[in-house]
Order: sequence, then structure tokens, then C-alpha cells
Amino acid sequence: MNFELKKEMMQAKKRRSGRKLVKRTLLYLAVFLVLFIILAPYMWMVSGSFKTSLEIQAADVTRPHLEPRWIPRKFTLENYANVNKTVRMLDYFRNSLIISLGTMFFSIVISITAAYALSRFNFKGKETFALGVAATQMFPGIAFLIPYFILFTFINRYLGIQLRNTFPGMILTYTTFAIPFSILMLRNFLDTVPREIDEQAQIDGCSRFGALFRVIIPLSAPGIVAVGIYSFIMAWNEVLFAAILTGRETKTVAIGLLEYITQQQARWSGMMAACILVSIPVLLLFTFMQRQIVEGLVSGATKG
Amino acid sequence: MGTSLKDKAERKAYWFILPSIICMLIVHFIPIIWGVYISFLDLDIYTLAQWTSAPFVGLGNFIRIFSGKVAVGQKFMRSVYTVIVYGLITIPVGYVIGLLVALLLNRNFVGRTFVRGIILLPYITPDSVAYNVWRFIFQARIGLVNKYLLQLGLIKEPLIWLVGKRALTAVIIASIWKGWPFACLILLAGLQGIPPELYEAARIDGASPWQQFTHVTFPLLLPVTKTLLVLNVIWNFHAFNQFYILLGGSPGDAHVPSTFIMQEAFSNLHYGLGSAMSVVLMVIVLIMTVIALRIKRGASHEF
Repeated sequence: MNFELKKEMMQAKKRRSGRKLVKRTLLYLAVFLVLFIILAPYMWMVSGSFKTSLEIQAADVTRPHLEPRWIPRKFTLENYANVNKTVRMLDYFRNSLIISLGTMFFSIVISITAAYALSRFNFKGKETFALGVAATQMFPGIAFLIPYFILFTFINRYLGIQLRNTFPGMILTYTTFAIPFSILMLRNFLDTVPREIDEQAQIDGCSRFGALFRVIIPLSAPGIVAVGIYSFIMAWNEVLFAAILTGRETKTVAIGLLEYITQQQARWSGMMAACILVSIPVLLLFTFMQRQIVEGLVSGATKG
Repeated sequence: MGTSLKDKAERKAYWFILPSIICMLIVHFIPIIWGVYISFLDLDIYTLAQWTSAPFVGLGNFIRIFSGKVAVGQKFMRSVYTVIVYGLITIPVGYVIGLLVALLLNRNFVGRTFVRGIILLPYITPDSVAYNVWRFIFQARIGLVNKYLLQLGLIKEPLIWLVGKRALTAVIIASIWKGWPFACLILLAGLQGIPPELYEAARIDGASPWQQFTHVTFPLLLPVTKTLLVLNVIWNFHAFNQFYILLGGSPGDAHVPSTFIMQEAFSNLHYGLGSAMSVVLMVIVLIMTVIALRIKRGASHEF
């Protein structure tokens, strides 16, 4: 009797651990499925970048011996070696670097001062200003692209200042795109820096600007770095305005990538190598600042 | 004395915000107001040189946009319809996938931190890179999608994905792949904010896992869900990159307002007509924003 009971208990335990095992297995299968769905396009990108252009051109899904494969039939580095040949990708890379670094610099300077005012001063129109900053986030780019383009044309004609297809023009555009989010993020950050600190600095003989530069900026360094990286990535990735406002001398990587496919020729392997090159700065910056940017995004959305 | 000091401080504040105001005026506000004016003109490449003498056509551009008899009007209406269909599919599907994966990542398993980092990849990859890779994947003769569909025997002939009737489907698939990690990230943060005691209490009351989800998890995620919905509804009308990169400058029937306005203004050089369509798009976005914020405010009263 006792033996029977024990046996039954053992079996029940086994069943339970068996069910647990099934559950665990399902969990890991689901995780692998998610990982596969995310990573497959990247693996295809990497594999494509090592294929010869001949292999991709000759590929045919309907013929078993020619179908596209994950492992290149013949490994080659020519796509990386020729990255500046058919499409001037390195030049576009340099243009993007100039525009993104410029955007980063001006976005930090302009948004830290505005955020300081929002955080520390009470002034008439403060709410209107904050609302105006937030409202710009709502406009679709296309809503002001046409008049903005025409504005550039007129500034050139009447003031003689060329903004289209110039670095200052692009930096002005992207700086303005970056500052609303930057101002709101830095304002939240500055609100956590105690006011007594700037009062102390002023007692010690600092002006308002002096207090900002000597005391507040060092204290809010993490927020500033996050805003800088956000601005850099934004300028690096933007497509719509770059498509219209950049030209031969200022073309950015986002638009340059489209040049690999023309009416006459599709250079997929070259494009995949260029895609990897274009992703590197963004991935590096993001891994460097992942925590701050994610926290900023999440707190923005959850506070809402 | 006190007030004058305060006035001084107040005046200083304006110097601090001045650079940002100038930027936003030049890039956002002046162009938007001017765009409204341009939308009443018949401004094209010929009249641009003498723009003050561009014929004032009143509501002429708007009448053309809303008339079903003119090609431009039909195409613009169709583009608005397309972007709504696009949103009605990508937003809920992206949300459900994001929620399912967030629930998965909220469990304990080996390598969880690693997987959490990986799911951010599609979100941070530049649009130009991600959609160009998807364009490669959707190619008819050399693409992965057709390769596997043929292997599974689901199709007999390679399908043309990026031109014609399947173009929208292709864009939707690529956009969902790129978009769900954002929802997942936000929902995961929401899940981590739910106190474990609530589940404890629910379990003691004998709630099944499904009941725990419907009575604890989902209601507590509702505020985050509504924020996501508001953001997505507004952003939906901004849709441009995915259509422009995957389908090229002239996506035919799969035009969305952004791509269509761009083509009308910068390929056909009809700036006035393009501006009028931009104004209509702005009004649509404004209405959607107001509705979305109403819904959200309703939510914050409940919680």
C-alpha cells in the first residue's frame, strides 16, 4: 500500500517535471524563433557582401543549382575593396560625418541653453515655448519640405547665401530636427540637478552663463552625451530632406546607398558591403550609450 | 527692487531660448505658414522665378485634390487610403508581436540580457540600411522570400513583390520587422513596473494564467498601450522612408501621401499643388492627434 502510494507520487513528480521540460523547451524554441527573425536579414546582408556580383546576378530561384545561398559559393573581399569605386561611398561617408558631427555640436549647444531656461527660469510664454517645441514633433517632414526648399531658393537669390547642397544648410536643418527631443530630454535631466548648486555658484561669483558652463554642464554630462548621440544618429539616418536638399558635394550615406541600383544595373553585393559600413557608426554609438538612450525613450513614453 | 531683479532674470531667459526659436522659425513655422499661402498659388518651375506674379488660384488646387475626376485627386485620395490601410495593419500587428515578445522576455532564461540587446537591432539600424536589405530579400529572381516560398511549394512561379499589387504587402512586412522592437521595448518597461504581489494575489484567488493576463497584465499596460497608440497614429502619416527605399521614387498604386507629394512637387515641379496636398495632410495629422490625445486623456482619468 505504502509502496503503491510512493510509486504514484514518483510518477506524478515525473509528469510534472516532464511538463516543465516541455514548457522550457517551448520557451527556448520561441526565443530562437525571435532571434532568427531578427537576425536573418543581417545574416543575408553579411553573406551578400562577400559574394561576387556575378554570383548574385546569375542567381535564379527557379533553378536548384543557381538558387541564392547563405554561404557564398566564392568568398570575395572585392565589395569592400571597391567601396569607393562605382558609387563614391567613402565621399558620402565623409559628408555624413561632417553633417552629423556639426548637427551634434549645434544641437547640444542650442538645446542645453534652452533646457536650462525651461528648467531654471520662470518667464512669460514659457508654456507656449514648451508647447511649440513639442508641436514640431507632430509635423510630417513633407508638410514643410516644399516651402523650405523654396525658402532656400529665395535666400540664395535675394541674400546670395547658398544653403541647398551645402554643409551649413544641412546642419541647420538637422539641428532643428534634433533640438525638440533634445530640449525635452535635457530639461528632464536638469530638473534632477538641485537648484542649490547654481545658487551656490552664483554666490561664488559666477554669472548665469558662468554657472551654466562651469557647474551645470559638467554635472549633466551623461544627458549631454545622450543628446549628442541622438542628434548624430538622427542626422546620419535622415532620408527625406537629404533626398531633396543634398547634391553631388553633400550627398549623405542614406541617399548614396540608393545609387547602387540603377535602371541598367543592380549592384547588390556592393550595396550590402556599403550597408555594413553605414551601420557601423550607429551601432558603435548606440552600444556605447544604450542604457541612457533606452531609459530616455522609455521614461518619455511611460510618463507620456 | 525685487520685481526688477526678477524682470532682469526673466529677460535673460529669452536670450537662452532665442537660438532654438530662430531655428524652429526658419525650419518649421515660417515654412508651414508660407506653405499654406503657396497652396493658393499655381506655382511651378516657370512661375518660381517670378514667384510674386504666380497666378493666385484661390481654392483651385484644393478643388483638384478633392475631385475624383482629376488624376491627381484620385491618386492623392488613394495615397491617403493606402497609408490608412498600412497603419491599420502595421500598428496592431507590431503591437501584438511586441507584446508577445515582451511577455517572453519577462521570463527567466539563459541569455536573457543578450536577447534583450539583440531585439533592439532592427530599431536602431538606419532605415536606409534595413529597407535596402529588405529590398534585396524581396527581389523576384534572386530573393530569399521567393526562394523559400518555392521550396515550400506555396508558389509555382517567382512572385514580383516590389511592383504592382504586392508592393504594399512587402512594405508592410518590412515595416513590421523594423517597428515591433520599439513597442516591445516600451511594453517590457511597462511589464517590469507591475508589482509581483499582484500576480501573487491573483494566483491565490485561483486565477489561471490567461485570467492573470486579462485582469492584471493588460489593464496595467493600458496607459503605455495608449501612449504607443498615440505615437504610432501620428507617426503613421509620416511614413516615407520605407516606401521610398523599397519601392523607389514612383511606387505607382502603393503611393503614400509623402511619396506622392514629393513626386508631384519635385519630379513634376507642381509646387502649388504639392503644398496644397501638404496642407491637407497636416490637417489630417492634426485631427488624428487631437482624437488620439482625447483617447489618451480619457485613459489617464481612469488610472
